[in-house]
Amino acid sequence: MHGEGGHQPPRPATHTMSDNQPTQTSVAVGDGAAIPLKSDAGLFTAWRIAFFGSILLCLFLAFGRPDQYMAIFKFVPEGIVITFQVTIGAILLAIVFGLIAGLGRISANRYINGIASLYVEVIRGIPLLVQLFYIYYALGRFVKIPAIMSAIIAMAFCYGAYMAEIFRAGIQSIHKGQMEAALSLGMSRRQAMRQVILPQAFKIVLPPIGNEFIALLKDSSLVSILAVSDLLRRGREYASETFNYFETYTVIALIYLIMTLFFSKLISIMEERLNDGH
Amino acid sequence: MKVLRFLSVTALLVASLSVTAFAAPKSIKVATDATWPPMEMVDANKQIVGYDIDFLNAVAKEAGVTVEFKNTAWDGIFAGLDSGQYDAIISSVTITDERKAKYDFTDAYTSIGQILVVPKTDKTSKTIADLKGKKVGSQIGTTGTMEVKKVTGVESKTYDEIGLAFEDMAAGRISGVVCDEPVAAHFALQKQEYKEKFKIVGKSFTKEGYGIVVKKGNKELVDLLNKGIKSVKAKKLDTKIHTKWVK
Repeated sequence: MHGEGGHQPPRPATHTMSDNQPTQTSVAVGDGAAIPLKSDAGLFTAWRIAFFGSILLCLFLAFGRPDQYMAIFKFVPEGIVITFQVTIGAILLAIVFGLIAGLGRISANRYINGIASLYVEVIRGIPLLVQLFYIYYALGRFVKIPAIMSAIIAMAFCYGAYMAEIFRAGIQSIHKGQMEAALSLGMSRRQAMRQVILPQAFKIVLPPIGNEFIALLKDSSLVSILAVSDLLRRGREYASETFNYFETYTVIALIYLIMTLFFSKLISIMEERLNDGH
Repeated sequence: MKVLRFLSVTALLVASLSVTAFAAPKSIKVATDATWPPMEMVDANKQIVGYDIDFLNAVAKEAGVTVEFKNTAWDGIFAGLDSGQYDAIISSVTITDERKAKYDFTDAYTSIGQILVVPKTDKTSKTIADLKGKKVGSQIGTTGTMEVKKVTGVESKTYDEIGLAFEDMAAGRISGVVCDEPVAAHFALQKQEYKEKFKIVGKSFTKEGYGIVVKKGNKELVDLLNKGIKSVKAKKLDTKIHTKWVK
């Protein structure tokens, strides 16, 4: 689940540190999986051991002890699809919410700023599990939408607040000289934001968004309380009928681990590419 | 040496804690999922109450033991018995062959059946099979779920608590709920909002006996509880409890 400490502003890009501000070292510990950068040799090796180890363990369990485990592997795939649907739907929607609220947070308009700040403050103060229950059953009282859509909206509403802070920090990390230069070229503020500031900010916020994606992938297991048949719920349904709790949760944990490790690797590759681009 | 002494004391403590398992019990810990009114629920005074609670207390009195109830989520309630967190489960557990293969049961202490609840707007459905192509809710891992799954073409939706299934039906996300008859009567006929929206259709379509669950091989406890159940039934205490909770 989300911890406050996990959400540090993204690291400032190097070109913003050129002036007389003291260089700050930010402690960027995300609550997604640790991102295995090549420069961290220990973590890089650990990633390989964990990733290939869990794949091997899955294969061993499925084919080495098929009577206990094969049925579980056959039971859960639909759940993986649902887990992905929820995660991808929620992250896309959360980026939209986050961008709007993030821009609102730096708006000079008092009311817009106030509303955006209130959203971030309120949402971050309520546990995700409580929000899921609340939004799912509250939505049901007013509009008729499918369970999975309600789950996606609830997740996105929560993650949007965290995303807003990432966008705010990302935009603010762009040196104000950029805005001044754009304005002196005759651009309007809106143009300058769209064409100069946001493209640079996006590059900065991409790694933390990737980190949020992994955190969201894990937190999506919480939607299993909403009768959404995601990976965890499929596992629970299986366990509740066979009473093979240990075996089932072993498989579920391994599948989640493989997924998060896979995506953390993708994000580290992306981050390295971005750094090379400088 | 100090470390050694500390370790041996700890070992002794752990050992003394674990000896109690399977020895003739004076007090037993019993898990119940108190979200299944009127069989077991938490009342306004935060006490666990209900048919099962009164019944087991009567049984324990006859058997000469005391009971300590532990409110435990249904999903995983059997796993907790495996790992020894409590000695028994009384939580409207139907005696089924699948469950008997893994756990030991006392004699059945009461019998009930599954029943279908649908919105009042549904004028035609009489059985689960009439809800083909629609979603039917039940609590995860219950006999209700098993009955829904038996009917092909009906999409089974499982909930952590039966109350959430009724709430989802009120929101129009599912077209029916299957659960134990007394529970259906409690939700559909007693909560004002649901009373206006839901109706029970037909009669219960299964015949099931509730039993108290204990860990496989714990014969002493099964015998003790069976003795208690027999004497409760002989004294007709169970009919009194039945009228009090189920009517």
